[in-house]
Amino acid sequence: MTPTLIARDLRKDYPMNGETVHALRGVSLRVDSGDYAAIVGPSGSGKSTLLQLLGGIDTPTAGAVELSGTRLDALSDRELTRLRLTRLGFVFQRFHLLPVLTARENVELPMAEAGVRGPERRVRARELLDYVGLAQRENHRATQLSGGEMQRVAIARALANRPAVVLADEPTGELDAATGREILDLFLRLNRDGTTLVVVTHDDRLAAEAGRVIHMLDGAIRD
Amino acid sequence: MRSALPPSFLALVAVLALVRPAPAAAQLPGIAVERRLAGELSLRVGDTLRLGAAPDSMRGVGVVAAIYEPRPDPAQITKQDRYVRMHLPDLARLLGAPDRVDRFGVALRPGIAPDSAAARLDRSAFGYQAYPSAAIASESSQTFLVVSRFHRAIAVITIVASAVFLLCVMLLKVEERRMDAAVMRFVGVRRRTIFGALLLEAAVIAVLGSAVGTALALAAGAATNAYYRRFFHTALTFSLITPGIVGFSVALSLALGLVAGAAAAWRLVRTRPMVLWGRG
Amino acid sequence: MTGAAWAVKRLARQPLRTGLSLAGIAVAAAMLLDMVMLSGGIDRSFSDLLLGRGYQMRLTPKGTLPFDTEATIRGASAIVAALRREPALEAAGAVLGTSLYARRGDSLITLFAYGLQPEAQSLYQLQAGRDLASGAGAGVLLSEPAARLLGAGIGDTLTLVGRLDPQVVTAAAGRRLVVRGMVRWLYDYRGQPSVGMVLSDLQRLSSSPAEDRASMIVVKARQDSAVPGLVTALRRRFPSVEVSSVADLVATFHERLVYFRQLSYILGSMSLIVTVLLIATLLTIAVGERLGEIATLRAIGVSRRTVVGQVLAEGTALTIVGGGLGIGLGLATARYLDAILTSFPGLPAAFSFFVPRAGALAFAALVLLLTGSLAGLYPAWLAARTPIAATLRAEAT
Ligand SMILES: Nc1ncnc2c1ncn2[C@@H]1O[C@H](COP(=O)(O)OP(=O)(O)O)[C@@H](O)[C@H]1O
Ligand SMILES: [Mg+2]
Repeated sequence: MTPTLIARDLRKDYPMNGETVHALRGVSLRVDSGDYAAIVGPSGSGKSTLLQLLGGIDTPTAGAVELSGTRLDALSDRELTRLRLTRLGFVFQRFHLLPVLTARENVELPMAEAGVRGPERRVRARELLDYVGLAQRENHRATQLSGGEMQRVAIARALANRPAVVLADEPTGELDAATGREILDLFLRLNRDGTTLVVVTHDDRLAAEAGRVIHMLDGAIRD
Repeated sequence: MRSALPPSFLALVAVLALVRPAPAAAQLPGIAVERRLAGELSLRVGDTLRLGAAPDSMRGVGVVAAIYEPRPDPAQITKQDRYVRMHLPDLARLLGAPDRVDRFGVALRPGIAPDSAAARLDRSAFGYQAYPSAAIASESSQTFLVVSRFHRAIAVITIVASAVFLLCVMLLKVEERRMDAAVMRFVGVRRRTIFGALLLEAAVIAVLGSAVGTALALAAGAATNAYYRRFFHTALTFSLITPGIVGFSVALSLALGLVAGAAAAWRLVRTRPMVLWGRG
Repeated sequence: MTGAAWAVKRLARQPLRTGLSLAGIAVAAAMLLDMVMLSGGIDRSFSDLLLGRGYQMRLTPKGTLPFDTEATIRGASAIVAALRREPALEAAGAVLGTSLYARRGDSLITLFAYGLQPEAQSLYQLQAGRDLASGAGAGVLLSEPAARLLGAGIGDTLTLVGRLDPQVVTAAAGRRLVVRGMVRWLYDYRGQPSVGMVLSDLQRLSSSPAEDRASMIVVKARQDSAVPGLVTALRRRFPSVEVSSVADLVATFHERLVYFRQLSYILGSMSLIVTVLLIATLLTIAVGERLGEIATLRAIGVSRRTVVGQVLAEGTALTIVGGGLGIGLGLATARYLDAILTSFPGLPAAFSFFVPRAGALAFAALVLLLTGSLAGLYPAWLAARTPIAATLRAEAT
C-alpha cells in the first residue's frame, strides 16, 4: 500500500497564561491510500489538534506532515490553501455550512474556488447530493435542513474536488443515534468506493467499523 | 448681480487713489483711508495722493488725514472694494457733480412714526424715494436671510443623515450583544434585566458620543472662525455655537440614541434564544 | 455563483440593518452629489449665462464689474465704432442701464431701463411681438413684470421720463414710445420691471446725450481661441476702461462666492466620511459575526483573496444601491436648495447654484464607489487574518 498521509513526531504546544500546554507530545502516524482510520481517546487528549495539523489548518511546533509525498511545512500559505482545497476534505462536528447558500451551492463552493466551470460544477454537485441521498433537497437553504441532512451536505462538500483524504472531527457528535447511524453507513460506503478516511470519534460503533483504530492519551498515541 | 434701485454710496467706490509723493501743502483736502488700503499702498498719515473718478481724469489732490478701521460688515467681506472717506464738497468737486448726493439721512422729531413720515415725503417727492431705516436694514439683510435659510435646509439634511447613522450604529451595537443575550437567556436571566443592560450600554455610548461630538464641534467652530477671519481679513464671527445649539444637538442625539438602542434591544430580547444563538 | 450575488444574499438576510445602512448611504450620497453640483455649478451657470448670446468680452468703467456700480463709460459710440472696424471681432454693442420712470396720470412708476444697440445686443431673448429696429424712436421692449406693473402690452404707447429735477419738480426729458415686443432679460432678477430701447433714446432720457454714456460694451470675437489675445490687445488700446473676458468675470464671481465652494468641499467630505464610517461599521460587525464562517471557508481551501473579495463586494453592493437611491434624493434636494439660494436679492433669475451635469454625476458616483469600496478594507483585513484553527475551536464552544 502507498502511504498517503505521514506524520512524523508531531508536537504542538499552546502558550496559556505564561504556562505551556503540550497538546501533542510527539505523534507519528501513517495512513495508506484506501484506509479507514478512527482516532479515539478521552476529551482533551489532542485528537482535534492532531487532525488540524494533518489537514494543514494549523502548523506543528515540531515535526512534519507529508501528504502524497509533499511536506506541508515546505508550502507557502497560498499553496497550503490550494492543497486544502484540492487534496483534502473536511467534515466538522458542527457541519459549518454557509447558511445563506442552498445545499447545492454549498457543495459547489469548493469547486467554484478551484475554478471548475458553472455547468460542470452543477452536474457534479447534483451527483454528490444524489450520492449522499439528498437529490431532492438541492435547493433548500442550509438552515432549512435537519442536522443529519446538513452533515450529509457537508460530506458532499468535502468530496467535491476529489480529495486524497477526508478528515472528519466527531462527525456524529451533534446527531442522535439513528441519524448518526446514517452518517456511519455513508462513511462505510465512501471507504468501500475508495475514499481514504481519518475520523476522530467518541462513537464506539464507528471505531468498531473502521479498519484501524488509533488510541490517544495525553497528547500521544497509546500502545 | 445688480440692484435696480439706485443704491447708495456707489460713487465713492469708484474713486481711485494713486500715490504721488508730493510736498505736503497746507490747504489740501483731507481724506480718511481704510486700513487695508493704506496697508496695500503703504500710506501713512500726511502722504499726498492724486485722486480722480477715472484714470484719465486724475484731477484732484488730497492728503491722508486719518487711517481708519471700517466696522466689520458681512456684506463686504467677499468684495475687493477699498474705501476712502472725504468731506462731501471735496468729493463733489472731484467728481464735477456739485450739489449731488446719493442719499440724505433724516432724523425725525420724537413721536413721529418713520413709516408715515416716509409715506408723506414720497407723496410730495420728485426724483427721490424715502425709506424708513428699518426697511433699508431689512432690504440689506435679505442676503443673509437667504444664506441662513440655506444653512437651515442643509442642517435638516444633516440631521436626517446623522439620525439614520445613529439608528444604524445603535442597532449594530446592540446586535453585537446577540450571543451574550442568548447565553443570558439560556441561564435564565430575565428579559427585563437584559433589556435594561442593553439600554444602559446604549445610553453610555450616546452620552460619550455627545460629549465627543460637542468637543469636536467646538474645535471645528473655532477652526472655521480662525480660517475665515484670516481668509476675509475681518473680525466677524462665522461659526457661533451657542449653549442652545449644544443643548439641542445633545438632546437630539441622546433621544435618538436611546430610542434606537431601546428599539434594537427590544427586538433582541423578543427573539427566541435559540435563534439568537444561530440555531433554530 | 458570483461574489456579488453572494454579497446581495447576505445583505438581504438582515433587512433592517441593510435598509438602515442604505438609507444612511443614500442621504450621504445625495449630499455629496449636491455638493459636487454646487462646487462646479456656480461657475458653470454664470459662464453659461454670460455666454448666452456668444459675447466673450465686456468693456466696463475702470475698476468695476458689469452693472456693479452706477459708473459709466464716456464716448461709447466712438469705442464701438473702433471695435467694429477690428477684423477679428464679429460684433460690438454698447449698453446703458439706469432707472427710468413711466408717467401714468399724476404718478411716476420706477422702472429699470436698458439702452442698447439692437444689431449687437447680448441682453434679451424676444418672446413675443417684434424686435427693436436700429435708429432713434424705434419703440420699447417690456419684460413680463414690467408689462404687468404698467398694465401695458404690445402696441400700447408709454410715456417715459428721466432726469428728474426735484428743485423745479419737473422731468428734464420725456418721450412717448410704442411697445414693440415682449422679451426675457437674461440678467434680470425675478420680478424685475425692465424696459429696453435704443441706446440713443435712453441716453437722451437719462443724461446729456453729448456725453454718449454707456454702462458696458459687449464684444464678440470671431473665434473663441482668439479671446485671451484680444483682451490683452484691447486693454492696451483702451487703458481707461476695464476689459474682461467671460473667464475673468467668472474668476471674480468665483472669488465672491468662495464661501459656497468651500462649504461644498467641507460638506462633501463629511458625506464621504459618513458613508465610509457607515459601511466600515456595518461590515466590521458583519465580519465579526461571521468569523466562524470565514474560518470554515479558509479551512476547506478558500483563499484569502476570495474572502477579502467577498467583504469588499458587500461594501460595493451597499454603495451602489445606496448611491443609486442617493442620486434621486440628491436631485430632489438640489432643486429645493437651489430655490432657496436663487432668491438672493439682485441675482439673475436665470442663474442656478446646483447644475446637474453628467460630469458631476459621474464624478460623484466614482468618488462614492471608490470610498465605499475602500471602507471595506479594514473589515476585509480582519477577515483575511482570521486564524483558522483557533476560530473553529472558539466557534465550537
Ligand atoms: N488554542 C488553544 N490554546 C490553549 N490550549 C489549547 C488550544 N487548543 C487546544 N488546547 C488544549 O490542547 C489539548 C488538546 O485539545 P484537543 O485537541 O481539542 O483535544 P480533543 O479534541 O482530544 O478533545 C487540550 O488540553 C486543550 O485544552
Ligand atoms: Mg476535539
